[in-house]
Parts: sequence; structure tokens; C-alpha cells
Amino acid sequence: MTTLVPVRSRIDWLGIVFAALLSLAIVGPLVVVGTWAFTEVWRYPNIIPQQFGFRFWGQTLGRADVWNALVLSLQLSTVVTLLSAVICLPAAYAFARMSFPGRNILFFSFLAGHAFPKFGLLVAIAAIFLQLNLIGTFWGVVLIQLVGTLMFMIWIPVAAFQAVDRRMEEAARDVGASPFRVFWSITLPQAGPTIAAAVLLSFVGTFYETEGAWLIGAPGIRTMPVLMISYINNQMVIQYGAVLSVLLWVPSFIALMFARRVIGGGAFARGFGG
Amino acid sequence: MSEVAKAAARPLMENAQSRRPLGLLLVAIPVFLMIWLVVWPAINAISRTIWRPDVDGNVGFDLSSYAFFFSDRYSLDNLAITLWTTLVCAILLLVICLPIALYLRFSRSRLSGYVQALAILPMFVPSIILAFAFIRVLGPNGMVDILFNAVGLPKIRTPYLTPWGPVIGLVWDNIPLTVLILLSGLGSVANQSIEAARDVGANALRVFRHIILPRISNSILVALSFSVLGIFSSFTLPYLLGPASPEMLGPFMQRTLREVQDPIGAMTQAVIAFGFCIVFGLFYVRSVARNQGK
Amino acid sequence: MSVLHIADVTKTFSGGTNAVDSFSLDVADGELVCLLGPSGSGKSTLLRMVGGFEQPNSGRITIDGEEVTHLPPERRPTGMVFQSHALWTHMNVFKNLAFGLKLRRMPAAQIREKVEAVLELVGLAGYGDRMTTQLSGGQQQRVALARSLVLEPKILLLDEPFASLDQHLRERLREEVRDIQQRLKITTLFVTHGQDEALSMADRIVVMANGKTEQIDRPDVVYRDPKTPFVAGFIGTMNLIEGEVSNGIFVRSALTVPLPIADGPATLAIRPEALDLSASDIPKASVHRVTDYGSHGLVDLDLADGTRVKSMVAHPDMLRAGQGVDLLPRAFAAYRNNQQIYRS
Repeated sequence: MTTLVPVRSRIDWLGIVFAALLSLAIVGPLVVVGTWAFTEVWRYPNIIPQQFGFRFWGQTLGRADVWNALVLSLQLSTVVTLLSAVICLPAAYAFARMSFPGRNILFFSFLAGHAFPKFGLLVAIAAIFLQLNLIGTFWGVVLIQLVGTLMFMIWIPVAAFQAVDRRMEEAARDVGASPFRVFWSITLPQAGPTIAAAVLLSFVGTFYETEGAWLIGAPGIRTMPVLMISYINNQMVIQYGAVLSVLLWVPSFIALMFARRVIGGGAFARGFGG
Repeated sequence: MSEVAKAAARPLMENAQSRRPLGLLLVAIPVFLMIWLVVWPAINAISRTIWRPDVDGNVGFDLSSYAFFFSDRYSLDNLAITLWTTLVCAILLLVICLPIALYLRFSRSRLSGYVQALAILPMFVPSIILAFAFIRVLGPNGMVDILFNAVGLPKIRTPYLTPWGPVIGLVWDNIPLTVLILLSGLGSVANQSIEAARDVGANALRVFRHIILPRISNSILVALSFSVLGIFSSFTLPYLLGPASPEMLGPFMQRTLREVQDPIGAMTQAVIAFGFCIVFGLFYVRSVARNQGK
Repeated sequence: MSVLHIADVTKTFSGGTNAVDSFSLDVADGELVCLLGPSGSGKSTLLRMVGGFEQPNSGRITIDGEEVTHLPPERRPTGMVFQSHALWTHMNVFKNLAFGLKLRRMPAAQIREKVEAVLELVGLAGYGDRMTTQLSGGQQQRVALARSLVLEPKILLLDEPFASLDQHLRERLREEVRDIQQRLKITTLFVTHGQDEALSMADRIVVMANGKTEQIDRPDVVYRDPKTPFVAGFIGTMNLIEGEVSNGIFVRSALTVPLPIADGPATLAIRPEALDLSASDIPKASVHRVTDYGSHGLVDLDLADGTRVKSMVAHPDMLRAGQGVDLLPRAFAAYRNNQQIYRS
């Protein structure tokens, strides 16, 4: 490894500057929200809240709209993730391991979704759903969120299946395993961790998906992020939003922990065209 | 070894006849969904905004919705604010992320792990939480006001509900992927090539200008295309943080569709957004496809 | 008695070239046969056809009298050891070995017994609980061997199993595999591009080039009496000199060798150790470089027209660069149209 600075001083000043600025700009706002969630009284211009407490947790969690939104969001994410797994994983295996006419064109056609500005595409989809009376329905939101997971759930598993050493599969055939047994005992466990990451990321992504849910779902379908929008717009009690933010961030945190290894590798960025 | 590699690249068993229909069958549903929910809506939006029924119900070529958009003061203001936001965000992202990526690529210090973690963190903060945090920090009587007040400074002019609101939020939101894409591009710059340049007497700036920049120019374009595609039609952050008028295309389209209940108008706006992004979209798709092809 | 019988097998890849071209071979019970050739010679493809990973376009493969030509790998009594060992990294060593036995519905106690016996055989007793990724390259290859042996295949197939190991380890494993093979008397087909490996391990060597058999013989015969110029050039060091024969004399530049064959072009093949040098008033070649290996020396010589030949000499210190010498071939062979037509 070389550096751009020929003689590096022992103290990494540049790093300290970056770390400080990023801490301030990225962690800072999150800390403020976290503080608000555990605050009972915080009047301007006090630097720290006058009174900490869990009172608003009880109040927030006692609200029926919060529970309804949470249940609905979990239902939606589960349905969308399961559907996209059922639909996409066999397709990913086919793309990775089988040869059929039009394979490459079909594979790269999944990029089409990325050629459009996303919300513009959602509006175009919504215009079609309007004619199909899917606006404001559960399945309308499922379909529009499926669009977001589709490419993701194909491309990452395809890479995972392709990364499985062909010869491991051949060795399993060699000791007497049928093609299906090879898939079950060798290919799937080998590709498993990456596929699990893709499934988890698609679950979390769907959970937080705001634009499609708001555009298609409103007013009947109120997911957590949609509820959060109305809290930001109309709710006078700041703590409700803060508690909800902290709650909302939990699945994301799990995803963060899980995805660290996936994102560590350059493969992830390459998936985005880097 | 080439014969082994060749052999390994082919399917295990070559009973291709029996597998062909199966492979097509397995990909049929996602392909159908993709055509129905991506390709068809795009075509539908274009065709329905240019072939429209006139008063007698005869369908004909008609660009009046576009003519309206481009003659309507309010629509044009919205387009202008969208273009301005996209441009400012792209510049800011580059100015912020390139130094971070360069630092991460060439630093051996232990701090770089922390810096990388921070730079990637926004990827795991949903934009809705970001919007809330933004208001609590930069909004009226927010954290910044509190701290300024404590040291005797006047209140800031809050960017909340001004065009700068979405800019700050969108830049924050797009830092992780921009850094990751740039970092992945910097990975292709060999240490030896930099050492060789230093060896012949190039200083850090020249190394950057003549060795690093040419190598990562493609990554920069990819990162820019990706953020432009996201920012141009962003919805949540401009809707929550931006001004009500003029508004960015995202909220504008949503309002036209759901509140004004004018699907033709909304589709016209969507097609115009497609038009402005087509170059970036195609470039981005081409880059990803080429990367996958490797 | 022949266990493996390959008859007239041809394999054509989509490019149109024949990877294996009407290949036939009989392997006797307990025999170790090496398929030796440069990469692209079709030796791996042939092995994969015996294992069932490729289907021949024509020809038949029988094992123990039973035709297996179109059987999938899981229904063939063959066990393959792959170059990259192809161990299942999500299983430990024991599970890697037990997988095939479980598929055969063997009781757990018996599986344990068998796996431990085989691990003992390959010198990895007690390694059952290790993950394969914790093992060294040599250990991994031993596990791969054990995974095949534990199923007691009729034929063991080894596809360049030592290619990814370093020289020292390669030599040790070579001996171990040979020992195990002889102890178990297991019929083995071994693919390699290294002649050392083939010469030191094989009962018989099949030299292949461009999908065709060049020669099938015992290692010493292949070395001493290569039947084609390809084999002559591929195995060991060989001076292959193109020239013309007229009136029973082979001529290339100043080099003349009596060769009692019909007139026409011919390729003369002389091992460096069979080419003696002597001082001469009318030199046929000049010394280009002398390399002293201690036990012997290797001399590079140039004929007048620039043709380079090598000679092995006992006393290299007697020679200097630029010196003129006479060439005295002790033993040689001649080839014409890819066939041996004379051997002294």
C-alpha cells in the first residue's frame, strides 16, 4: 500500500477531520432523534432536555394507528418478500445454471427498471393501476413494491449461484447424489448466506418503502413510513415521531449488522455499476 | 487448463432438450412482471400522452398536454427547481464523496474503518427518519438553533421548507452509494502505477490528475448517473422538506395524480422526467451490464 | 482382465473441433494409467466422460462389462478427485466423507467406522471434526481422495490432483497416492500434464495430443522408444533435427548421420545423453554455452546453420564457448510422416 502523502505523520489528521465531520453530520442528527425519543420535557432553548423518561413510549405504543400500521407493514413486507423469493429464486437459479434461448437478453432486461427515474416510473404504474382499480388496495401496494425487489432478488442470487464452484456440484453427483439432491445439499447451502442477505435486504427495503406505498396505498393503506409522514406533517407532539423513528430503525439496524459482510466486498457496489 | 474451464462453463449434463423449456418456465413469471410493471407502464405513459381522444372521441396524435406543461408557468418553475436541485446535489455529492473515497482507498490508518462505517451508515437510515431528524436539527428551534443560542449566536435561517432542504437531505441520503461506487472504481487503480508516477517525480495533485482521475472517470459518471436518476424524481424528501411552491417533479407528479386526479397530466410529467434522465439511465444501464458481463 | 473399456470415443465441442478423437483404451484391474498431454489435448475431457460429466458424441465406455456411456455420474461406479479438490466447504471433513455413504442409506455406526478407516488410510485420523477450510492444501487434497475412496469405487479418477500444490508437497503426495493405490489395488485413471508425475506413478502412460492417442506404453518404453516425434519432444529433453536423407545418409548442415532408409525428409531424434562430443579438426558444431550441474554438464551447441542441439557430457570443464566439436550420436531414432521409421 502506498499513500498520496509521501511522509505520513503519525497522527492521521485527515482521518480525524473526516471522522469528526461525518460524526457531526451523520451521527449527530440520529443522536438528536434518539434523545427526543426518551425525552418528556425539552423546552427551547435548553441544551439538554429538562426531563427524561419513557412516558411517550407508552403513549406511542398505545396508539391504535401505530399498531395497525406496524401490523400492516410487517404483513406487506412478509408477503412481498415471500412472493419475490418464490418468484425470483428459481428464476435466478435458471439464469445462473441453465441455458435457454434469450437467456442474456432476458437477464439484462431486468435492468430496465433502473433506466427510469424511479418515481416517474411509479407514477406511470399508478396510472395503470388507476384503470385496474388497484389504487388504495393491499395488492396494489404489494405489486408496486414487488417492482423494487424484483431486480435485487434476481441479480444477487444469480451471483450467489454462479459463485458456487461447479466442481463441488460435480463431486456430489460423483458420490451418488441426484441433481435435485445436489441442489438441496450443496448448491443451496453454498449460496445460502448471500441469498439470505438478499432476502433480508428486500424485507427491510420493503418495510421502509415509502413512495410506492404513499402513491398507491393512500389513503386506505397506511404503512409505518406513511404514518410517519402524517406525523411529520400534522403531529404536534414531537416525541411520537421520535419514538416511531427509533422503533422504525430497529429492523434497519439488524440489516446493517447482517449486510456488513456483503457490503464489505466490492461485489455490492459493482452490482450498482461501480 | 483452458479445456477444463471450458468444460466447467457448460452445464453439468448436456441433455439440453429437456432443460430448455424448464429454464424459460422458471424465469417466465419475473420476466412477465417486469414487462407488465416496468416496460408496459413506460410505453403506456408515452402512448397515452401523445395519442389522445379529441372531443368527438377519435384517438389521434395530440401533444397538447406537453404544450400545456411547457407553457405553464408553474410547471416550468417546478421543472427548473428540479433541475437546479439535481445539479446542486450532483456537484455537492462529488465534492464531498470524492475526498472521502480517496481517503478510504489510500489510508492505512485505523480511523479509515470508522470513516467508512459512517459514510455507509445513511444507507441504513430510511429517508423518512432522515426527514424527521432534519427537522429536529435544522428546523425552527432545532438543535442547531439551541446550540447557536447557547453560545450567543443568532438563529439560523432554517433551510426547512426552502429549496435547500431537499438538497441537504438528498445529499445525505446519497453519500453511501456514491462513496461505494467511487471506492470500487478506485480499487482498479494499481498501487504500482501510483508508485511509478511518484517515482518519476509527480506530486500528489499530479498523481490524482493524471493517474487516478482518468481511471475513475467512468466510476464518477456512474455514481453521478445513479444519483441523478434517484434525485431527479425523488419524492419523500422534497415532499417533507421542500417548499410547497415551486415543488420538485416528484411531489408535483404525486399531487397531479392523486389530488388533482389528472393521470394524463401526471404521465406527461413522468414522460418529461424520463426524457431528461434518458441519457443518464442508458449510461447507467450500460455500465452495470458491462460490469456484469466481465 | 480389463475393467475399463473405452472404445472409439469421440467428443466434439460446439466449436466444431474434436476434443477427443476416436479414442480407445483398455485398463486392467488394479492398473494405474496416466493420461499425459499438454493442455487442450483432450485428456481431461476424456476423464470427465469416464466420470459421466461429459457425454461422448460416439463410442462406448464400459466398466466391468457394463455399458455406462450414457449414465449420469451418480450411477457410475467411479470416484473422481478434482484438481481444485472441490470439497464442500459448508461441511466438516467427516460430513464430506459421509455424504455419499448416507446417500447409500448406510447405518450411522457403519458410516463412522468406514470414514475413520479411510481417514486413517490417508493419514488424517482424528481430523473428522475440522472444517475443510481449516486444512492445508495437501490435507484438503487428501480429504478429496478419501471422499472418493470411502465409496470403494471400481475406478478412481484423478484430474490433475496435485496441480495446485507446491513442488515438494506434490512429490510427497504422489508417493502416498501410489502407495494407497497399490495397497487397495484400485484401478486408477490419472490425468496430468507433468511428465515426472506420469513417469513416476503410472503402470502405463497414454500420451495424448489434439484429442488423439500418440502412444500407449510403460513409462520406460515411452521414454526410451517414443513412437512419434510429438512423444519424443514431449517426454524428457530431445534433440529433434529436421533434415534430408539421401543415399542412406541423413544431412543437416554439417551434421551427417548414416541412416539406412529411403531418400526424403526425416526428423532425427537424439537424447542429449546419447550425443557424444569429441575434439575435431573439421568441427560440425560450435559450443554456445556450457552449464555445469556438478554431476554432469549440459552443452548447447550450434550447427553452422544456427540449429541448436544439446548434449550431456560427464566433464563439462573440458569445453569452452566458441570451441568447435564433432558430434557423435550413439543412439537415435528417425521419424517421417509422424511415424518412427528407424531406430538404432
